[in-house]
Formats: sequence, structure tokens, C-alpha cells
Amino acid sequence: MSPAKKLHILRQEEFDRLLSWLDPDPRRAGLAYEKIRWRLIAILAARGCRSPEELADETIDRVARRVIDIQDSYVGDKAIYFLGVMNNVHHEYLKRPLPPRLPELNNDVEAKENTHLCLEKCLDKLTANSRRMIERYYAADKQAKIDLRKRIATEFGISLGTLRLRALRIREKLQACIEQCLQMEPF
Amino acid sequence: MTDKNEQFDQDNSSEFSDEAVRRFLLGGLSASERPLFEQRLFTDDDLEARVRLAELDLADDYAFERLSTPDRRLFEQGFLVTADRQQKLQVSKNLRDRFSAKPAGRLEKSKVAKRLKHLFGLDRPAWRFAFGILILLILFGTAWLVIREPRIARQIANRMSPRRSPPQSAPLKAGHPTNTSMPEHQITPSPMPAHDQATVSPASVSIALTPAVSSQTSEVPALNLPKGEQDVVRLQLVLKADQTGPYRAELVTSEGSSVFSAEALKPNDSRAKIDFDVPARLLKTGDYQIRLGRGNEGSRESLGSYYFRVQ
Repeated sequence: MSPAKKLHILRQEEFDRLLSWLDPDPRRAGLAYEKIRWRLIAILAARGCRSPEELADETIDRVARRVIDIQDSYVGDKAIYFLGVMNNVHHEYLKRPLPPRLPELNNDVEAKENTHLCLEKCLDKLTANSRRMIERYYAADKQAKIDLRKRIATEFGISLGTLRLRALRIREKLQACIEQCLQMEPF
Repeated sequence: MTDKNEQFDQDNSSEFSDEAVRRFLLGGLSASERPLFEQRLFTDDDLEARVRLAELDLADDYAFERLSTPDRRLFEQGFLVTADRQQKLQVSKNLRDRFSAKPAGRLEKSKVAKRLKHLFGLDRPAWRFAFGILILLILFGTAWLVIREPRIARQIANRMSPRRSPPQSAPLKAGHPTNTSMPEHQITPSPMPAHDQATVSPASVSIALTPAVSSQTSEVPALNLPKGEQDVVRLQLVLKADQTGPYRAELVTSEGSSVFSAEALKPNDSRAKIDFDVPARLLKTGDYQIRLGRGNEGSRESLGSYYFRVQ
């Protein structure tokens, strides 16, 4: 078991205290927790950590244990407190032996086909306009892509930057839909 | 949505460019840029949204092979470190296969391959196990055949011997014809049959040789070469009383160049001599030495030398 895993024994009351410290409203506290965790992972990955999810959880565990001591006295953006603790965790990580890399995503044809089936389902859920945009956005390669995207942007009466953002937002919805589909569908 | 997009457009011109966001994701921000970027990412929801979208964009670019080689390496080594990002890449690849004309064939091919594998059940572990056993059986069978049938091993050794020591004095025999106008057939010595009493080669010339310390110690026996291309010179090597086989003989020139050799030689019926047949075409005028030994490649014992001269 890695050092991070050893520390990952957080009591429920500590976790609840952390959430209520982040926000008294449980729903907003959950969202804040997810945001902080995602940001920790993104930063740790950008710093070259091989196990950013593990280190992010270790950071959150440490903060959760300290909440009881700081909740009355802490002033300022609570998210920034996580950043400070994360720096310590990262510093300790650099002194440890390198963990193994995350294994490559399974290139199993079956998994690919399942994702493909979910993609089809999720495409069907898009509005006609969104579907048309995403189909055309991903249709061309390299130089052809640039020309095509200019044409699509003109058709939709938007700038290239806006087209990109709209397409990526649809892509984001597709991603969430596919992940949900893969979890729910019995293949 | 339009309002949000316009807001993003404004963000694109903020203190962090799209290029900086992308460099952050690939771990390429400088030490001076990074602390500010990280702090802003923790406090700025808009920057977070841009980074999230840039993750998808990067995964798409990788799947559509639009990244440079260094960026591809950074992507593989530094970006794909979470299961969530790997899943994003999986969706990008599916989008590529679904909408992009070029790589769509890849999925079709993989589908056909998969169906064929399913059809014949080739993806079952039993098939893999069976193929493994089959290969092992072939290997063991071959090894057993070679061990049980020494004639095969001898034939292989005899075929290899002239190749191991090509006669340096005869370039034609070494496979380098000087006459480029005509292709030279039979330029290497034909494989000699095993030196078995049951298969004696036709000998045109025969000469008995006794062991000698050097070519100067006694008068060197001489022979005249037969003219025929297929003729053989039989060198009868007289054995000492206490010598036993199997024997190995090697014919070398006075300069020490190997001309011909034979393994697993057996003495004749009287056990006093060994017949060492050498193709006449390998011999030229000059002095030769035969080195007689016993054993194989692993343990070889020298039994003596024989000298003769070709006139």
C-alpha cells in the first residue's frame, strides 16, 4: 500500500465537518468539494505527478482532519487553504520513490464498441442544431478542418472562437452523457 | 449560451492565453508562470471552465493526430495520468471514428477482425494454449530427431564445414566469380556425403599418409591431381594403435588456410586407417597439411598431422 493510501482513512464525522466548513448548504458543499478535488488533480498532474488523484485525496484528508482546529479562526478563500496543504503533500511526494504509471486504457475492441454505442445514444439526445454542429466540427482533419470550421462559423453566424467553445461545450455534454451511459447500460 | 460564449471570448484575451492553458495541461509552464496560474485556477471559475474545455480539446487533437511529436510525448507521459482523462481520450477516439472519414476504416477493420476471432474462437485461452503446446511439440520433436538420428546431425555438420572455412586461395569457390559475364554454377563445394563406409565416393586418386611432426621431418608424399570435375582424392590417414574415434579431419594449405573438413569420420574395417575424401577440384599445386582430431566442437583433442604435396 502506498503512503497516500495509508493515510486515506477518514472518519465520516471529519468528512461531514469538512463539507459543512466549505458551505453550510450540503448541495453547494458537494459542488465545492468536487471543484476543489478537480483543481487539485489538474495542478498535480501538471506538476508531473503520476498519481494525482491519490495525492488530491491525501490533501483533502489532511484538510478534513485540521478543520476542527481552523474552522473558527480561518479567514479568506477556503480553497486556497487546500492549495497550501497540497504543496506540502506534493513536496513529500517528491521525496518518495516514483509510483508506477497508470496502466494504459484498455484498447479492448469491446470497450470501444460500448463507448461507440453510448456515443450514438448521446448524439440522439442532442438538439438538431447541436448535433449538426458537432458532426461538422469533427468531420475534417488538419488543414481541411480549418477551412471547414471557417465555413461552419459563417453558417452559424459566429466567430471561430465561439464555434470552438460551443462545440467543446457540446463535447463536454457528450462526455458526461457517455460516462453516465457506460455506468448505467448493461452491455 | 451565447452570453457564456462571449464571456469565454473575453477570457481568451485575459492574462492567460489558450496557449498558456494548453501548456499548463502538458506540464510546460515555466517556474515563474506556474504559481500564479495555480492560484488563479483555485479562485477563478472561468479559468477552471477554460481548462476543462482545453482538456477535451487536447484529447481531441491527440486522437485526430493533430499534435506535434513533442506534444504527443508530453500528452502520453504527463497528461494521461488519470482515469478521467483516459476516458476523455476514449470518447475522442470514438468521435474520430464516428465522424472523420479517414480513420473510420480502422474501427471497421477492428470490428471485422473481432468478428473473425469470435467466429473461430481464436480469442479463447484454449486456442492460445493449444498453439503453445503445438510449438513446443515441434521443437521437442526436432531436437529428438537430431539426437536419435546422428546421421542427420552429421549431414548438417558436413554441409556447414566448407562454409565455415571457405578456401581463401580459390575465390570462385568462395562465391565471388571473377568472370562477371557468365553466372557461375556450382561455385561452392557440393555437400559431401557423410564419411560412412556404406557410401564410399568414387576415388580417382588414393594416397596413404602417416602422421608426421612437420613437413620437413620426412619426405612429403606427392600426388598428381585427376582432371575430372567430380573426381575425389582419397587420403588414407594411418592411425596410431591407441587411437579411437570419431574423428575430425581438416585440410589446410601450407599458409594455414582451411580448404575442407569432415566430421564424424570412422576408421575402415581394419581400424588402421581413415579414408578422408577430398573433392579434387578444391586442390591446387602446393603443400597441404591434414589436421586429425577427435571429439566435437565442445571438446576437441588433436591426434596428429599429415602432410602431402600436390604436383
